[in-house]
Amino acid sequence: MLKLTPTAIYELVITVILACWFLATILCQFKETGVSWFIRYKIDLFNLIPLWTFFAPHPGKRDYHLLFRDKTDDSYTEWHEMDITEERTFWSWLWNPEKRDKKILSDVVQSLVSSIPSYREKTGNLNLLMFSTPYIIVLHAVSHYKKHTENCYRQFMLAESAGYQKETTPSLILLSVFHQI
Amino acid sequence: MILFNNISQIVLIILSVGLLISTLEYLKKVQIFSTKGLLSWNVMQLKWTKENQSPLLKPFFKLFSVPGLAMLFLIRCLLITGLLFFPLQSTVGWVLISLLGLSLLLASLVTHYGSDGSDQMSMLIIITLILCNMPALASNKLRDIGLWFIALQACLSYAVAGIAKLVSAEWRSGTAIKDVFSTKTYGSKKATLFLQKYPAANLFLCWNVIIMETIFPLCLFLPWPFALIFLVWGFIFHFFTAVIMGLNAFFWAFMATYPAIYFVNHQISWNLF
Repeated sequence: MLKLTPTAIYELVITVILACWFLATILCQFKETGVSWFIRYKIDLFNLIPLWTFFAPHPGKRDYHLLFRDKTDDSYTEWHEMDITEERTFWSWLWNPEKRDKKILSDVVQSLVSSIPSYREKTGNLNLLMFSTPYIIVLHAVSHYKKHTENCYRQFMLAESAGYQKETTPSLILLSVFHQI
Repeated sequence: MILFNNISQIVLIILSVGLLISTLEYLKKVQIFSTKGLLSWNVMQLKWTKENQSPLLKPFFKLFSVPGLAMLFLIRCLLITGLLFFPLQSTVGWVLISLLGLSLLLASLVTHYGSDGSDQMSMLIIITLILCNMPALASNKLRDIGLWFIALQACLSYAVAGIAKLVSAEWRSGTAIKDVFSTKTYGSKKATLFLQKYPAANLFLCWNVIIMETIFPLCLFLPWPFALIFLVWGFIFHFFTAVIMGLNAFFWAFMATYPAIYFVNHQISWNLF
């Protein structure tokens, strides 16, 4: 008969925890289900349940670009691009700090893009998108970037290009309204 | 003293290399957490202002400034270095890895955007090692269960990635890798030119990844010389994704799971064959 020593109880508890974690990981590989949504957004506070579908089913084929321009009085400045999509160096296989900026922007843009249809469906326009976290992240970063004058209005543009495939022209994802910064 | 015949310890040492690099990378880019940065806490805290979440997290909010996070990353570097000198199963080693796990959990609150599968695999391994090596309570059987969990998660990750590619028309038609490599984010000019010059390589590479990832869990059951083929493939795969795509952290996070796969393979093989 199993003796309920502290070691045996601890072993049982941890085994159950690991089994639940593994089961939750399997369930969360199916993105669109209610269970997956519940675990991801209601339980998984620390992002401990991974999604293992790397680069599939739709691999990221585009580079994202974040551009902005200012309006002062009645004139507009040129569009400026935030330096995010830098080319990697020889040592990037070992040391690649630049990947974080790219991944953040890529995550934020993907989050924005994926939420656009639901905003359109619910309200018929994209006005409420301005209150979403990804939009605010982009606006916040753009607002503080190379700000030359006080109280100017800034508009940002999210665009995508196909990197080294030069034959493909860049395209617009989102054009914001002018925000006072 | 560190013993290299302890599988959990080897898992931790390989992972530590990747974690140290990743932490130093965050230190270099710590300005992304400044009030003007992409991950400014002024904005990121919006994620945690819902209903019942904030009271629990409030004590940590001061930490998510540039000085706070720089300190956290520096402490993490020291903890990782300390783990080279104290075995996982010693009390000091367990305290060090627990603090390391805590620092990873705390940082995950602010790095919701920008973290990737390697960060999740690292976190998963660290938490498993903490739970399964608690002094006085953890048994050898529990340490084995921890290694099983790490090996199963690794195999699940490959299999899911493979199946997701198998159902994708872009992967089956052999265009996916060319398209990914042609981006400046995850690609390289040389790789793009190579794949333009040799189009057959696209199809070969796509199907190579689909097949090997999908059947990767077989490495748990096959006799070791055959299982080793999968691990060698995985090593080459992760090395080239680091070189071509710049995914350096994936290499260390996934290599750290291979000793656990070796362990499970040998446990199963001894029973099967």
